[in-house]
Amino acid sequence: MLGVTWIRGVIARRTGRLVATATGVAIAVALLASIGTFLAGSKATMTRRAVQNVPVDWQVEAQPGADPAAFLQTVATNTKVALPVDFAKTTGLQATTSGSTQTTGPGVIVGLPANYRTTFPGMIRDLAGARSGVLIAQQTAANLHVAPGDTITVGRAGASAFDVRVTGVVDLPKADSFFQKVGAPVGAQPQAPPDNVLFLPAAQWHERFDTLAASRPDQLTYQVHARITHALPGDPAAAYTQVTGGARNLEVKLAGTGLVGDNLGSTLGAARGDALYAQVLFLFLGLPGAVLAGLLTAAVAASGADRRRREQALLRTRGATTTTLVRLALLEAALVGGIGAIVGLATAAMVGATAFTTASFGATTATAVVWAGGAAIGGLVIAAWAIAVPAWRDARFLTVAGARRVVGRGRAPRWFRFGLDLALLAGSGLVFWLSSRNGYHLVLAPEGTPSISVSYWALFGPALLWVGAGLLAWRIAYLLLGARRFLALGVARPFSGLLANIVGATMSRQRRLLAGALALVALTTAFAASTAVFNTTYKAQAEVDARLSNGANVTVTQAPGGTAGPAAGTKIAAIPGVTAVEPVQHRYAYVGADLQDLFGVRTATIADATKLQDAYFQGGTARTLMHRLGQQSDAILVSAETVKDFQLRPGDTLRLRLQDAHTKQLKEVPFHYIGIATEFPTAPRDSFMLANATYVARATGSNAVGAFLVDTGSASPTAVAARIRAQVGTAATVTDITSSRRVIGSSLTAVDLSGLTRVELGFAVALAAAATGLVLALGFAERRRTFAIAIALGAKPRQLGGFVWSEAAFVTVGGLVAGAFIGWALAAMLVKVLTGVFDPPPAALAVPWIYLATVAGVAIAAVTMATITTIRRAQRAPVSVLRDL
Amino acid sequence: MSYEPLVRCDGVARTYGTGANAVVALHGATCEIWAGDHTAITGPSGSGKSTLLHLIAGLETPTAGAITWPALGARAALRPGPVALVLQGPSLLPPLDVTENVALPLVLGGVDGDDANERALRALERFDLTDLARKLPEELSGGQAQRVAIARALAQEPRLLLADEPTGQLDHATGAAVVDVLLAAAIELGAALVVSTHDPDVAARFDHVWLATDGRITVLLSPDAPSEGQPCSA
Repeated sequence: MLGVTWIRGVIARRTGRLVATATGVAIAVALLASIGTFLAGSKATMTRRAVQNVPVDWQVEAQPGADPAAFLQTVATNTKVALPVDFAKTTGLQATTSGSTQTTGPGVIVGLPANYRTTFPGMIRDLAGARSGVLIAQQTAANLHVAPGDTITVGRAGASAFDVRVTGVVDLPKADSFFQKVGAPVGAQPQAPPDNVLFLPAAQWHERFDTLAASRPDQLTYQVHARITHALPGDPAAAYTQVTGGARNLEVKLAGTGLVGDNLGSTLGAARGDALYAQVLFLFLGLPGAVLAGLLTAAVAASGADRRRREQALLRTRGATTTTLVRLALLEAALVGGIGAIVGLATAAMVGATAFTTASFGATTATAVVWAGGAAIGGLVIAAWAIAVPAWRDARFLTVAGARRVVGRGRAPRWFRFGLDLALLAGSGLVFWLSSRNGYHLVLAPEGTPSISVSYWALFGPALLWVGAGLLAWRIAYLLLGARRFLALGVARPFSGLLANIVGATMSRQRRLLAGALALVALTTAFAASTAVFNTTYKAQAEVDARLSNGANVTVTQAPGGTAGPAAGTKIAAIPGVTAVEPVQHRYAYVGADLQDLFGVRTATIADATKLQDAYFQGGTARTLMHRLGQQSDAILVSAETVKDFQLRPGDTLRLRLQDAHTKQLKEVPFHYIGIATEFPTAPRDSFMLANATYVARATGSNAVGAFLVDTGSASPTAVAARIRAQVGTAATVTDITSSRRVIGSSLTAVDLSGLTRVELGFAVALAAAATGLVLALGFAERRRTFAIAIALGAKPRQLGGFVWSEAAFVTVGGLVAGAFIGWALAAMLVKVLTGVFDPPPAALAVPWIYLATVAGVAIAAVTMATITTIRRAQRAPVSVLRDL
Repeated sequence: MSYEPLVRCDGVARTYGTGANAVVALHGATCEIWAGDHTAITGPSGSGKSTLLHLIAGLETPTAGAITWPALGARAALRPGPVALVLQGPSLLPPLDVTENVALPLVLGGVDGDDANERALRALERFDLTDLARKLPEELSGGQAQRVAIARALAQEPRLLLADEPTGQLDHATGAAVVDVLLAAAIELGAALVVSTHDPDVAARFDHVWLATDGRITVLLSPDAPSEGQPCSA
């Protein structure tokens, strides 16, 4: 009965405080649930992209003795689409062009059914010539110096060679999986796909190789390429389980006659790891916001602590026991937590529907229940912690004298005396040092394996930094507030004139309260700043990654054997929307026995068409290394691997073997090694070399361009690419950065953080406003009696303003400055710790100045409003305040 | 001696709230306070004593009638200045120590910090409160806090000293001592003293005694009033 009366009283008489505390809880719940919603959306995106990136879901390989027709039938009945693909080994290929004969080593001849290209469009990409007929892989074409129309001779083991006429040149973007060793574990897979590949129409293949089926079955392999249903669960883990289960099931049905090369399962397996990692990352980015909302709720509840103590004292005089008092506080906490949880979940659902196009809190029903339930429980815990725990503490331990204490001369808190903040910062530094020394980072993405290894404990570095720096801000504020002269002259004087000493004394005696408020503002600012800087850097690097993959906004890649020189760029430059065109030569060069890509660039103008990051180079910035390259005509930049393999030192002569354009023979060309290039637009991610275009042209007798990098300025890359495509036809491949963004990197880096960014940054602004305006306003509201007394004593509005503005300025400016420092340090550490997410790693943090200015502006506006309202309300009716309180 | 009263109330009334919720705290009171007057307003709780005191202090405005301060100046210039008020209940600012609390109205009135401190210490000395100079309000007993509040009012050397139930939270002996100090200080300063009290013993020590009953003020005792028991406005 007392409980009902109490709750009724709280609702009727303490509506403002009830709403404020419930809002704090709602923010925390909404933030946590929004992360769940975002993860649900992200995981579904990861699954969708993983599926999109796999051109052939399963490659089912027949084992010796299997009947091809029955085999195909079994696979077809268990999948959506199934097409037979034949592989045959060749002893080598030979072609004679321009009077010279080139011969390759062993290779693979693939027989494709007529509808293969349309059924699995992502597996083979056209580069030149016809789409059907005899298609030759790009590198093979380069090795043989052949183009569409040329004839090549195909060697067969156990049979005579035969001739075919090449109709097209193609590229295999997924060559690794296409030529995988089905059934072999990851470590036993071939290091690289075959160098020499030729595709024949199925009928032609059978005509040439069926004869070997009996004599040399070891030369032939039979596969069925299949697509399965893509109606998969949103969660990559669940999708992985379903797909791999299906693959094992098919193997059982094939009864030992076939093995499944589960390309989709492997990709989903990687996405599964990424999803787990994303969950940790997003929680890590969002959790501080929820903690802040909890702290904010506690601060709001604490600002009414004096009143609560008075109410407790009254209840005690009327016979209430400690248990009764705690029960009432728990009831109030349940009311606040319940309202906050409902509002928070509803907000998260709306935010999810708007920002992430899903109102679900999880990728599966179970995870949705866990996220929604977890967020709601989090809200209840925050409410209990903010309301019931202080009430229990007061009821249990507070003395009458303690209850009267408003200011107190108490010592600094225990953590302050023991230096907990400094210990936490030292711990953060230690964890960071341990996790980043020897180049070790949070995420390891070993080349060639489709999974990542995450060291979650490295996240303790930023976590400890956040808490330690927040406490350090408290410590510094507390120490500054102890220096009355500083307060009087440095803070209060501009606002309070003659009253400065008294205002300084007031602030100094409330230093625990003010230091706490400043630390809260600092942590809120740090949350907003670090999240914004991290997200902006992430976004910027995703763009860099896309640009690196594509080369520029638009890249026009010439067909192999193309002879177009730099002058062809003039025509491209004339196309509307094109602001700069830069030719990049592409050659193959032997370094010893190693064949590598060599790019010839114009160092003075390359940066006009694409952006070169410092992270692409070692031993200097992009600018300095390009300058040094341009200064010395025979200079060359090589990969770190080449430097190591050949023990190169700056200035060493490097003799490469390059093909002469006239004689088609390899000739030795001397270069001088000057530095290391790790990445370059359009270059492969392994070894490559960079040299001056003029020197390469002179040495090889050809200025043929491999690709034109095109900058489109503010014009749409897709639109400009379409115009260029219309002009160049099939002579070159035109790609734009928009398509590249869709396929870059792992599924994690491909996750669009913008939704989470919008939500988190929106919450950060709300928290900043609440941490400054609301907390100050409620703090001031609790001191209405003090202000009323000051007015009764004759304080004028300006003088009252001196007290209020001085405190507000100290808390806000101090909090924003401290928050900016903490946010910067946190973002820098986060980016370092999460370096594995970025490819290439960022050279510097990207700072979203406009957003940060907005946060500061909102905080200052909230404080200004709270302060002006406080001053106005204090003057309105001092007598009634004195009577009521 | 001025030839004008310090305060003149002319049918002053104060109503709180509106319509059906309206509560008349004070009906039209007409009275004057002259320099050197020592007046007690007595009556039960809720009778309008404090309301009249707040109106005289310029803390509130009347809803009817007029109140002026002919010998003191405009309402805006009353505090800090010629009028000092001792509020009912705890009235010290918690974050300021005793000296700072006493010096505060002086600083608000434009007195330099050091001068204000000196005057505050002198006022504390008069009340034998020097030992408490650096204490915080929460470290004082109720009697000590009330004496500090009175010291704060007197430190301003006002021409009109108003005290709302100055002995309300004190035991009899301490209350009597506080009234001694108030009267002595008022005499020393030549200030008028108006005290609200529900204690007849305290009221008996004043030259003028006004009785507040349901918002109406009548004169109980006045050395120069026509007769006792007449309305204050008589």
